[in-house]
Amino acid sequence: MLIRLSGGEVVDPVNGKTSQRDVWIRDDVLVDAPKNEMADHIHDVSGCIVMAGAIDIHSHIGGGNVNTARLLLPEHHAAHLPRPANTPLSNAGWSTFQTGCLYAQMGFTTVVEPAMAPYSSLHTHLELADIPIIDKATLAILGNDDFTLSLLRDDKSSAMIDDYVAWVVGSTRALGVKVINAGAAAAFKENVRAFSLDDVVPEYGVSSRKIVKSLQASVTRLGVPHPLHVHANNLGIAGSADTAAATIAATEGVPLHLAHLQFYGYGTEGKRKFSSEAARLAEAVNANPDVTIDIGQIMFGQTVTISSDVMRQFSAIRNASPKKTVIFDGDGNGGGGIVPYRYKQDYYGSLQWAVGLELFLLITDPWRVFFTTDHPNGAPFTAYPELFELLMSSAARDARSSELNVAALELTTLASVRREYNLEEIAIMTRAAPARLLGLKDRGHLGAGAIADIAVYRKGKDIAKMFREAALVFKNGELVVKNGKVTHYRWGKTLRLNPPPDKAMVKRMKAYHEERYGLSLDWFTFPDSAIQRDDPFAEVSCNS
Amino acid sequence: MSVAWIGSQPVSLTDAIQNAAKLLASSRCPVFTFDADVHGTRSTIALATMLGGAYDHASGQVLANEVALFTNHGGMFTTPGEARRRSSLIILVGEIPTLHHDLLQAWASSKPDLGDKRSRSWFHVGGAETDPSNGKLLRQLKAISLRSEGLSLNAELAVLRAQLQGRQALVSLSNIAQLKKALAAAQFPVFVFSGSSVATAGLVMLQELIVDLNIRGRASSVFLPADDDAWGSALTSLWMTGFPPRTGFTNSLPSYDPVLWDVQRMINEKEADLHVWVSTRGGQIPPKGGQAALISLNRTEVPTGGAAVTIAVGQAGMDHDGVTYSSRIGTFRTLQATAASHLPSASKVISQLAEALPGKRILAC
Repeated sequence: MLIRLSGGEVVDPVNGKTSQRDVWIRDDVLVDAPKNEMADHIHDVSGCIVMAGAIDIHSHIGGGNVNTARLLLPEHHAAHLPRPANTPLSNAGWSTFQTGCLYAQMGFTTVVEPAMAPYSSLHTHLELADIPIIDKATLAILGNDDFTLSLLRDDKSSAMIDDYVAWVVGSTRALGVKVINAGAAAAFKENVRAFSLDDVVPEYGVSSRKIVKSLQASVTRLGVPHPLHVHANNLGIAGSADTAAATIAATEGVPLHLAHLQFYGYGTEGKRKFSSEAARLAEAVNANPDVTIDIGQIMFGQTVTISSDVMRQFSAIRNASPKKTVIFDGDGNGGGGIVPYRYKQDYYGSLQWAVGLELFLLITDPWRVFFTTDHPNGAPFTAYPELFELLMSSAARDARSSELNVAALELTTLASVRREYNLEEIAIMTRAAPARLLGLKDRGHLGAGAIADIAVYRKGKDIAKMFREAALVFKNGELVVKNGKVTHYRWGKTLRLNPPPDKAMVKRMKAYHEERYGLSLDWFTFPDSAIQRDDPFAEVSCNS
Repeated sequence: MSVAWIGSQPVSLTDAIQNAAKLLASSRCPVFTFDADVHGTRSTIALATMLGGAYDHASGQVLANEVALFTNHGGMFTTPGEARRRSSLIILVGEIPTLHHDLLQAWASSKPDLGDKRSRSWFHVGGAETDPSNGKLLRQLKAISLRSEGLSLNAELAVLRAQLQGRQALVSLSNIAQLKKALAAAQFPVFVFSGSSVATAGLVMLQELIVDLNIRGRASSVFLPADDDAWGSALTSLWMTGFPPRTGFTNSLPSYDPVLWDVQRMINEKEADLHVWVSTRGGQIPPKGGQAALISLNRTEVPTGGAAVTIAVGQAGMDHDGVTYSSRIGTFRTLQATAASHLPSASKVISQLAEALPGKRILAC
């Protein structure tokens, strides 16, 4: 099948300047305009923007904690607006099925679940496999488990740490590694209530900094394309900017991705001792090319916070709205907390909102700042269209600011920042840069050979509307969305690395699980066939 | 050997599928009951969603009690693995189902290697209603009883909470001083309960007690489901529709209501006109009552009594591979067939049923 998208304004920064040109699809990949060949199907996309399918690098879309949030909050799902009833599961609230449909409708074609507990990786993959249309990927959590901490305490070789990290990545079918408040979950089990970068995990004598640095180095040595994905210490508290700045300063030439930086953009100035440090953090990011960040923008309204940072979530129980929570001390890197929360337009909410936007606007390189709300922690991903509008229109920001807490906004630089993202920068931030960050060479651009993941948006003054309802979306060359509605269902794949396991490490893992859990290793691992879907995984290569 | 019947007559699988599809297509209010592994559950829920039918697990009442702890309150939990490795003090709450006794005995024969690393001690708060069948287990574990004659488990938990907080109570539990001493020494005490152990109010009281303990120290709980497959089905339902079982559809929108969508109630009160019973466990029969026509997908060698159509299906982990929830690890695990048979999986049969329905529709799983 040869398809031609005709007459659109193609925004594809990887392959040149924005221009009006045709885009050609042969089966599931993009091709150069063929000579002497007619398209089987032509879509007239004149008056439209044509971009590669968008990629979300950090969105909690599946796995144990997400499912527990569903269990805790049935009323949250029931509050969703009714949607058309003629498609399977299309009205199913916050389900896996709806997740895929809603992302696709906005032109997103690949989404990364950033927090998979290794011991419940099968659960995570069962959920991801039930998300239709889009491709998925997930990051394995490390840094709080007894095995990692014991290796570090006992000064084991870097080769042994690499073998363990590779085994976890391979056996859990992850695309990378994430560390969440390194060491804090283990320390919390020993009744430690606060944990910073240089604090030490009791019993192991290993600092959070050492855990991060060791995993960062291991991920780099193994050639994992995505740098270590770091959820730093002290999330959400006044003064957390110091922790983030220290983490940024600690990269020392090794790549590192700092997640949801907005939640660390807080100082201790002002009457309420809660102020914006976004400008300082943006400056630190601008000055350090090792660092990439995503924002975790908050938007106002009801949401639920889901995090494996169990220490942080426990401290947030008193702020739960409604007043019900789950706190889970999991095995090693599992566990976390589910705390429903409503972002209000009060002092604190206004300041958080402004901090996120300041970071977006003050970090100058769109290749190093990523578009996220840390779904659902800052806001549901369905708030993305409004966020695009805030980034692309200073007038929209001014209008929204006028409704918010003046005292909070006065402690930020937001009003003075007049930058407006253009479409090329949006395409970099949501397509080209995520593909490069994750090592996905086959997507994020519209060059020949790329998979045909394409989003077509109808140009208009209403930016949010434009991004909310894509005119056309193609996934692997199949037309899946038309005029903002899903028209075709398909099952995407989960992208994974597959580093070969070291035999000695596998033997060691078998012995460890039998000794410590009284169970054979196959209780914790699974074959691809467990997913019961044809070819559920697609391999991504490690860097050589 | 037959694998499909219309009434009591053996027929080909194709004929049974066609007949069942006709019943489904003509039903005004179909309801679904399942008792299967993850993939059997996924398929059943997808079919129920396609047809707008309410669904529930075969152990719906106990499961609803367990679900209510979360939907109404939440709590603090840990995994069986973490309890085994870290907890030197285990407090059993109410009657623990027999299927979990091996797990508890395995803990008893091991010593914590994390945390305080002390030898494990056991307590039990049971209430007057606790089944004496737990007596052997409690003796094996040398569990110290926390008791007050005649008090229900709910009441004992309330007294326990009051006494641990140093508040006055009209009665006292036996051995409370020993428990206080053990709590003071343990770094990570764990309460173990099941949904069949105690009513929701008692579970909430237990969780509040654990919150109290976490003000200054650490404590948690291990939730051992009354039925692992039922809990696995609840988790599966949550990701598929956003809601636990006892979900139905109003104007095609899913809604969760543990009373309205109680499938057995709907059958008994003649709201439902067709009951699809999916049970891969073997030896199970649908409850009597009501007048709804019955389609039975059952692990059976004979037609299900009263069923318009019966199709024999296999059991995951026995007849075919599968995925099931395991309370040994607190998450899903794979099962390999131990005696692979000709019996098709429930998910395969349901896929065929969906394909046989009039109008081409996608089964969303």
